[in-house]
Amino acid sequence: MNRERITYPLHLIVRPFNGFWDMKYEHERRGNLIAAWVILALLALTMILQSQYSGFLVNFTNPKYLNSLMELMYVVVPVLFWCVANWSLTTLMDGEGKFVEIFMATCFALVPLVLIQFPWIWLSNYITLQETAFYYFSGSIAVVWCLFLLFVGNMTVHQFSPSKTLVTMALTVLAMGFMAFLCLLFFSLVQQIVSFVSTIYQELSLRS
Amino acid sequence: MPKSARLTKLTLVALCCCLCLGVWGGQRAQAAEVSASYMYSFWGEAVAAPAAYQATDLHDGQSLGLGAFKEPNDLYVRADGTIYILDSGNNRVVRLDERLEPIDVIDGFVNGGAQEGFANPQGLFVTETGHLYIADTGNRRVVHLDENDELVKIIDSPESELLQANFVFQPMRLVVDNSERVYVMAAGVFDGFMEFNSDGTFSTFIGANRVYVDPVEYLWKMLATRQQRSQMVMFTPTEFTSLDINEEGFIYATNGDRFGDPIKKLNAQGTDILRREGMDSPMGDLLYTSSTGPSRLIDIDVGDSEMYSVLDAKLGRIFTYNGDGHLMYIFGGLGNRLGEFNTPIAITRSGDDILVLDKALGEITRFQTTEYGRVLNEAVRSYYRGNEAEAAQYFYEAINLNANLEYAYAGIGKAELRQGNYSDAVHYFRQSMDHGNYSKAFQLLRKEVLREHFSVIMSGIVLAVVLLVLVSRYRKMKARKKVVSV
Repeated sequence: MNRERITYPLHLIVRPFNGFWDMKYEHERRGNLIAAWVILALLALTMILQSQYSGFLVNFTNPKYLNSLMELMYVVVPVLFWCVANWSLTTLMDGEGKFVEIFMATCFALVPLVLIQFPWIWLSNYITLQETAFYYFSGSIAVVWCLFLLFVGNMTVHQFSPSKTLVTMALTVLAMGFMAFLCLLFFSLVQQIVSFVSTIYQELSLRS
Repeated sequence: MPKSARLTKLTLVALCCCLCLGVWGGQRAQAAEVSASYMYSFWGEAVAAPAAYQATDLHDGQSLGLGAFKEPNDLYVRADGTIYILDSGNNRVVRLDERLEPIDVIDGFVNGGAQEGFANPQGLFVTETGHLYIADTGNRRVVHLDENDELVKIIDSPESELLQANFVFQPMRLVVDNSERVYVMAAGVFDGFMEFNSDGTFSTFIGANRVYVDPVEYLWKMLATRQQRSQMVMFTPTEFTSLDINEEGFIYATNGDRFGDPIKKLNAQGTDILRREGMDSPMGDLLYTSSTGPSRLIDIDVGDSEMYSVLDAKLGRIFTYNGDGHLMYIFGGLGNRLGEFNTPIAITRSGDDILVLDKALGEITRFQTTEYGRVLNEAVRSYYRGNEAEAAQYFYEAINLNANLEYAYAGIGKAELRQGNYSDAVHYFRQSMDHGNYSKAFQLLRKEVLREHFSVIMSGIVLAVVLLVLVSRYRKMKARKKVVSV
């Protein structure tokens, strides 16, 4: 069983239609959810290591501003945003997917990113400028693969037609932007309230 | 499924935590540390640097005993050190020797028996033989005097089918090349510099700036009616602001372009051949607020070894670049202290010194090199001559004085690369953030290492393959035995 937990994501990325079907209807959910979290953590780890350890020729991160917590955020927040936006939309659009399923499908779709980028962190230290073409090419392959998996995952989880899936995905991106805007608004309002209260407190404490 | 429900909840909680973390992590205090002298790093940040030039003395018309200068516009230094100042408001040219002692004043010339003067002249140029060219703007002509200040010729009212019928010739600045062709920057001309033959006839325009079309402006123009459009500003190429010529006859020009390249090096065909190999192309300040905008380069001076300095009128700073377009040093500024200006208008080199002319105050400030400036100048000269080892020595000294000087590390790296010390070269190119040269050095290093350890690497690979084969056979054998036993 344990062995399958490791091999299953690898099986899924090459057989996405069967893989996502099994994930939704056949498998016990708990094991896959843990696997999804592990994949997300691995991706975050890959990104952090990448900005710290990838080769000089491909690493354009200013070490002065490298913050692992922020790198973690750049991975986790978009994924969760995507899931929330997708879930909110698909509940309105007769999607069959539950939130957990959407989350699992999204995380499983990220496996190619980890699988391809991780070895390149070390390999990129031994390449020349001409060979960076391979680095960028494989990076693009990883992204395309990931998008394809995301598409298939969405389609299977919600039992949508391909065209409806495409529309949903586009709308999801739109909804993500909307959510980001709302979050910014919320936080700036909270900040203002906090500063208002603290100013009043200061005023009172200075006058008494 | 209560367990999975709990996990879902956990997922949501994690989301909220991440959002909070994002807001907290996003606030990062930006320490603004800009010292008096600075450089730009690979990351486009201003970093501290020692001063390369220091203002040593200040001269105005009164201290020279010539009466106050009135809106001087240009100055020029000949190879023998004679300094020419164009005192536009007083319609005269003042000649000083290299120690800034006055020699004489030229305020007119004899033209066909009659004494003539200048009217608000804006630019001047002196050839190696001492011939003086003056852009006599108010009189709409260029005056050419020989070394005894006798009139040689007057260039005025150029005639050509390239010029419009109502064209008014208002020369602003000018340079003369080795074959006595005169290049004039004239007011209201958008087609580039006006080139005159040695006999004073107009031949052609060279080096027009490209038209930049602002997308927003363009949209408005599309929407406007024809009548409205005729009232709007036309899209015209930006005018040049100044020019200089080096000993090889290449024209260096600055323009007021907000977009594109504000500095150009024009060949005889008028094509821009300036090398821009630095982190950013030469443009003055890289960091500026949206209200001040980018530097407005108002004058340029080319020195030896292809070094050139440009003067920013907005903040009074002088930026010096080497021939490859690497920023070397920045100095100057606006203010009231020595070494600061009110309205800087022209710069020129006198040997290694740099003279800056202030228009409103009518003052000349002389800057002399500090040790750092001398070392850096010498490094660039040695490198230009092709003496990389000597250049590396100077670059070593330079990085001892300024560890932020990324460009110097590349200079050392190049010398190390030439000597075959690939691992050192890789190290220095990495320090200088020079990706192209790093890659070259690294490729050679990699080849060297692989060759050196070829036997070890190959035997390692063979051994690994053999081991793998053996292990898989052993496993198969074991599996077969199991099957048999079952």
